[in-house]
Amino acid sequence: MSVTTSAVLVGMAEIQVVKGSGQLTCLGLGSCVGLCGLDPVTGVAGMAHIMLPEAFPGKGEDKPGKFADTGVPALIDAMAKAGADPQRIVFAMAGGAQVFKFTANPESKLDIGTRNIQATTKKLAEMGARVLAKETGGDIGRTIKLSVETGELTVRSVVAGEKALCNLKA
Amino acid sequence: MASEMKLGPVEFSAVREITNIGLGHATKALSDMTGRAFTMSVPDIESLTLEEVPEMLGGSEYQAAGIYMPIGGDFTGHIAFLMSWPCAQALWRMVRGSGPQSSLEVSEMDASAMLEIGNVLIGSFLNALSDSAGLSMVATPPYLAVEMSSAILDSIVCEASIGEHVALALRTQIHDTEGAMEGFFVFIPSVGGLKHVFATLGIQEAA
Repeated sequence: MSVTTSAVLVGMAEIQVVKGSGQLTCLGLGSCVGLCGLDPVTGVAGMAHIMLPEAFPGKGEDKPGKFADTGVPALIDAMAKAGADPQRIVFAMAGGAQVFKFTANPESKLDIGTRNIQATTKKLAEMGARVLAKETGGDIGRTIKLSVETGELTVRSVVAGEKALCNLKA
Repeated sequence: MASEMKLGPVEFSAVREITNIGLGHATKALSDMTGRAFTMSVPDIESLTLEEVPEMLGGSEYQAAGIYMPIGGDFTGHIAFLMSWPCAQALWRMVRGSGPQSSLEVSEMDASAMLEIGNVLIGSFLNALSDSAGLSMVATPPYLAVEMSSAILDSIVCEASIGEHVALALRTQIHDTEGAMEGFFVFIPSVGGLKHVFATLGIQEAA
């Protein structure tokens, strides 16, 4: 219990994959979506920090993790390269909020968060992915952390503190 | 991530000049609005990358307040004014005499006061920019978030990433007789926009 593992930070538009042990984290997701995957058998885990629903033409190649439509397959590929079986990967996602909740102009809605959730969900469904849990939408910023060893995914927010969302190994 | 640029010395001093003009306008507007004497300064103007801003606000998960405004007009882009939570409280106190005790207790009144402050600060900053660069930049209704600093920045970068942009962050201090607070202007002009500004000011090449 005395071992402190430093978490691998998954920055905006990044995809990170680790195997066996350690932690993956996205700090302070606003409109972005944090998508986590884990293959419980091989212990290969991955996280993508998705910023936008769809790649603009020609832009998906250099930063596939930036967009939902390219990020979902890129995360699965990266995990497969590390030894995961794509059929076994279990997913969870969080984020896609609208943190700018105060405005004098209620007609103009910022909705990238909602569109990010929809696009990620759609792409996951298209690829036949199994999604175990979601904590998305609303107006709160979220930090997510995945313990690769135990499979536990936690979500921390100002309002609710740190809570377990699901266990990707369960 | 929006493509970012670090400024060279010439662009740097041009931005400092423009910022000083912008802050001059913003200070006067804030003083007119509140009937109190404010001064503002850019003590050590820095061009920061957006990733550096949460650290400047105390850390990624520390709470902050951010007022965000998409820029309309010929020159499109995004602008925001961000402050740490203690600085936001200080600004509320300077302007209204009191403010919310906790970030979970921000009332509609508190929010509308802060949106008005943001409108004044950002609007006058934009006016100064459009005047000096001869470009039309139009203020639009602002948005306010009180959240983890990186969640605010994350959301601004998402909005800005729809197109290609460069990003500038400018540290700013606001004082009155009773206190001081610090905030950051985050300015994300569209690609070409900033070069246009520099070109208008006679600077040939942006770094």
